[in-house]
Amino acid sequence: MTGAIGTTGPAGRQPDFQTYVEQAAAAAQLVVQPRMGMSGPAEMAAGLSAVAASRARTAGTITIDSYTRVEDMRSAGAALAAGKPLNGFPIVNHGPHTTARVVDSTGHRIPVQVRHGSARPGHIFEAMVAAGLSASEGGPVSYCLPYSRIPLAEAVPAWVDASQQFAETASARGMRAHLETFGGCMLGQLCPPSLLVAISVLEAVFFARCGLTSVSLSYAQQTHAIQDIEALAALRRLAQEYLPEEVARHVVLYTYMGVYPSTDSGAQLLLDMSAQIAVRGGAERLIVKTAAEAHRIPTVAENITALERVADLGRHARSDECALPWARQVDYGTVYTEASALIQAVLAGDPDPGTALRKAFAAGVLDVPFCLHRDNAGAAQGAIDEDGRLVWAKTGAMPLPARAAARPAVTSTRLLGMLRHTAEAHDRAGALARGGSPYRIAVVGSGPRGLAVAERLSARLAAEQPERAVEISVIDKAEVGAGRIWRTDQDGSFLMNTACGEVTMFSGPSDDGPARAGAGPSLGEWWASTDPDYPGPNSYAPRALYGRYLGFYLDAVESSLPGNATLRRVADEVTAVEWEDQGWRLTLAGGGALRTDRVVLATGHPVTELSGEQAELAAFGAAHPGARYIRGDSAADMPLETIAPGSRVAVLGLGLSFYDVVAALTTGRGGRFEADGRGGLRYLPSGREPELVAGSRSGVPMPARGLNQKRPDWRYRARLFTPERITALRRGGPLDFRDDVWPWLNAEVQLVYYATAVRARYGGEAEQRCLDAATAQILAEGATDAERIARDTAARFGVAEPDRLDVDRLARPFAGLDFTGPEEFTARLTGLLAADIAQARLGNRHGPLKAALDVLRDVRGTIRLAVDYGGLTARSHRRDFLGRFAPLSSFLAAGPPVERLEQLLALMAAGVLDVVGPSARFAADPATGAFTVDSPQVAESLRVCGTLIDARIPGTDLGRDPAPLTRQLTAAGIWVPAVDPADDGPSGAGGVAVTTAPYRPVDLAGSPVDGLYVLGIPTEGRRWFMQVGSTRPGPWTQFTSDADAIAADALAGAADRSRLPALEGERR
Amino acid sequence: MSREIRKKRIVLSTVSSDSHTWNLVFLQLLLEELGYEVVNLGSCVPDEVLVEAVRTHAPDSVVISSVNGHGHIDGLRVITALRADRNPAVAGVPVMIGGKLGIRGAADSGLADELLAAGFNAVFTEGADPDEFTRELARLASADGLALSEGIAA
Repeated sequence: MTGAIGTTGPAGRQPDFQTYVEQAAAAAQLVVQPRMGMSGPAEMAAGLSAVAASRARTAGTITIDSYTRVEDMRSAGAALAAGKPLNGFPIVNHGPHTTARVVDSTGHRIPVQVRHGSARPGHIFEAMVAAGLSASEGGPVSYCLPYSRIPLAEAVPAWVDASQQFAETASARGMRAHLETFGGCMLGQLCPPSLLVAISVLEAVFFARCGLTSVSLSYAQQTHAIQDIEALAALRRLAQEYLPEEVARHVVLYTYMGVYPSTDSGAQLLLDMSAQIAVRGGAERLIVKTAAEAHRIPTVAENITALERVADLGRHARSDECALPWARQVDYGTVYTEASALIQAVLAGDPDPGTALRKAFAAGVLDVPFCLHRDNAGAAQGAIDEDGRLVWAKTGAMPLPARAAARPAVTSTRLLGMLRHTAEAHDRAGALARGGSPYRIAVVGSGPRGLAVAERLSARLAAEQPERAVEISVIDKAEVGAGRIWRTDQDGSFLMNTACGEVTMFSGPSDDGPARAGAGPSLGEWWASTDPDYPGPNSYAPRALYGRYLGFYLDAVESSLPGNATLRRVADEVTAVEWEDQGWRLTLAGGGALRTDRVVLATGHPVTELSGEQAELAAFGAAHPGARYIRGDSAADMPLETIAPGSRVAVLGLGLSFYDVVAALTTGRGGRFEADGRGGLRYLPSGREPELVAGSRSGVPMPARGLNQKRPDWRYRARLFTPERITALRRGGPLDFRDDVWPWLNAEVQLVYYATAVRARYGGEAEQRCLDAATAQILAEGATDAERIARDTAARFGVAEPDRLDVDRLARPFAGLDFTGPEEFTARLTGLLAADIAQARLGNRHGPLKAALDVLRDVRGTIRLAVDYGGLTARSHRRDFLGRFAPLSSFLAAGPPVERLEQLLALMAAGVLDVVGPSARFAADPATGAFTVDSPQVAESLRVCGTLIDARIPGTDLGRDPAPLTRQLTAAGIWVPAVDPADDGPSGAGGVAVTTAPYRPVDLAGSPVDGLYVLGIPTEGRRWFMQVGSTRPGPWTQFTSDADAIAADALAGAADRSRLPALEGERR
Repeated sequence: MSREIRKKRIVLSTVSSDSHTWNLVFLQLLLEELGYEVVNLGSCVPDEVLVEAVRTHAPDSVVISSVNGHGHIDGLRVITALRADRNPAVAGVPVMIGGKLGIRGAADSGLADELLAAGFNAVFTEGADPDEFTRELARLASADGLALSEGIAA
């Protein structure tokens, strides 16, 4: 039998039940617990382990089967032998060893309680203690009267013996026995709270007299939330009054135990209410039900969902948003006075609590309404009054105030109505919430950023299943499900800049199920499954292919929405977002409008107005028929097809956009590359190419990315440039990037550079020792000398030859050099590119240079920690960070695949492409009516070009973004340029001012705007490096957690509204 | 005259495996409102307890209500015990059973015939008309038990 559970390691020890609950309470956490009992050990273990692993503070439950409950172990055994499942765990038949192994499946992170319903529980307690379990429940009254025919005269002594023995045997095994009274339930419904509280306290007193020093007192949710909170308050006070001080105790609430709502939404509302009552009433633990309860036994997954939901709601109930009063705020006088009178009358009957209970029932001092047990007097009735409170209709012989029973007796029709009251009220409220207007969220922009939010919305909706219908609109003016940059109809020669195996959009890996929000393939995995010619995870996908993957992703996101959530695709441009009638109104360029509760603005790359030099060049082009200016934009949006073959074209910029332009005008026009037999490429022109002359400040095309040698889930762990160090530095106020941040970042880069060189020659162990030695010395002497320390350490390890790694030199290799003419410069550039290709082929793990530069990518999150939200002084942000580091890091650490550089060499050799030189100057020449380009450092480099392409992606600048939406939001004071608080001047990058997560815009008055979120490129400046169009497989990156933070906040609104009808229903 | 004053007496019961009681509470109120005197035997009634109650209380009719889905199994057994009793007043008492008698809902339609054949005078399954139940109960409780030979399945 035990083999089925598998090995769970050495048997552990259960946490003490009461201590566990006390610790949770001290941390303001409600312990939540399912009802759960499986026949087989493996299933029971799986259930407990799922409860232990859930995202909630839980206690586990083993519920006993009904044969064992009535001491019929023979029938339980027969059923087991015949392979028939029982309705619970037959703890006696399975025996202590198997039971202990089952409990081991929790890792003993949570305590496990045995629930049984037995009027004579001795055999169950014995089996529990033998298995190392010490928490159970029940009571001489609560498990006798409602369900059993056993007389109290038999049940009471049986419970005395069993409880005493339980306390003693548990103690002998070093455990503290814990018993929970079941007296707070009594038939599940229609027993007025004062009697429930009285029986619960009396059973606790009974347990204490039997030697228990750890008890919990139960109360079951009834018909009225505030009355329930009153009852919990009275229960706690009476426990204080009647339990000996040395008996540790807590209060446990049961989610409604009567007739359960038949609709999911009604059941959910009732469950939600119980969590709020528990927290507000001061219960430390809650035993939950699931929405499936009305129809069948819930599955483990349904139980976990309910536990996690209730845990979330419990946290919510501690906030001011919960409309229920706290226990200290309610007047619990009525419940307290009645319960107190009952307890006193019972205890006055006999010094022994067990005997006192028997005498009390015999005399009708305790009389449970509608209880048919022959020891119950049966003269009392409960009823639901016009306020929804549970009150007395008849009190029989109970010592209760006469006014308590001034109500008409209950008829059969009224009884039916009362039995169904709670279920029907919640079904109605649920239907109301469901049928109300849907909760609407608009995502403006369906590039990767916007789609990621849609995915997290879908994943959260599937998990949280809010009552209220949710409608998500995904809006894009270019292509819904891809966006402008990744649209699927673009030239196939435009490639991504990240290897496809490193790219994913899904917030979790694929599993056995279909691709859906939270689980799906990486770009590489998807590509492999759709294309027999898939070139492998280290290849670079065309952007159009990524666009198709994004479309597949959106389909998967839509498919996993729960039934009451929908996703609309809106192909239109949003031109205005305005607050109107308690919601946001989105004006569409096509003439329509959308009304929404929340708006996610993920509008991506702007097409900014030209300014200064660009504007002059454009104006010149417009005025001269022989000159044509093509503005900076995504290459896919440039009118490149209109450029005449053989014409001369100047290209401004040598970055990623440059590579795209070159590809479109060469291979995009039918040219091909073939191997030249010497390890390089040869270009075979189509004859339709123009003649390209390119230049930039550095004069160097962006270097290649190292061949990827890291697994997708590989993560770099910094030694020197750590989040902890940056967090500590930031405590001292705004930082100076050059003096405070850069030395540690550079130190990290140098460390990896030299250590990788050591590994390349002497292996990983030597690398480790080199790293340790250099790290220790740098930490001791400071980061300023890191380069020297790392170099000297590597030399001690026998590696002395690497060139120094100087990032400024890498970015500006031609600074201060002059060339006699284009030939000398081209020869020098060719050598430089060949060297870079060689370095890139060594890879990003084993090649010292590319491994070191990869650090700049790997620690991007830590850089953000230093920089974002005013981390730097305004001056340093402008001068050191935006002016120097940001372009340098993009240039060195975000390059194209190495093939692109090989192609450049071939194009230069074929005479299709020339690089003009460093410090390139692009000018308008009125004499020729065309543009000129030259390099002051290269003699005789001047060329005349009919066309000038600006191959630089425009930066974010609110002031120069002519998009109608940006204009409107800026004019309305909702979008305001981020301003550095340190000097009140613009910090240099003109993005939108936003809060930290969930990234609300900060308006002109300095207040966060509720209901709006801004994500990605529009926030560049306040946040750094937002142009991230995907995440990596493996643990979440900032890309996914950004989207999730917005999704969580956006959905909080849907949940709030769904709770209101329930509250109103309860309070009426 | 005394015959007119005496209320008709019903023994209200469930079957041995059924611990539900709200159905019994409801029926007791309903029957009392209809003028019957009710002896409610409560939950989980063993066969011998029911037989003994019929012997002791000499009811005009027995009403068995069960909702746990085992009513057809337990009901067959207890009606057999009643009908086999040596006391003709016990063996001949009118007995009706109703509630959720099987676990398959509407698919359990054959159960009623089986129960009638075993000796019940009337069987009410889920969805039965409550008025039909009270009319039938009135007919059974006032009739000469020995004259009853057929029941009504609703």
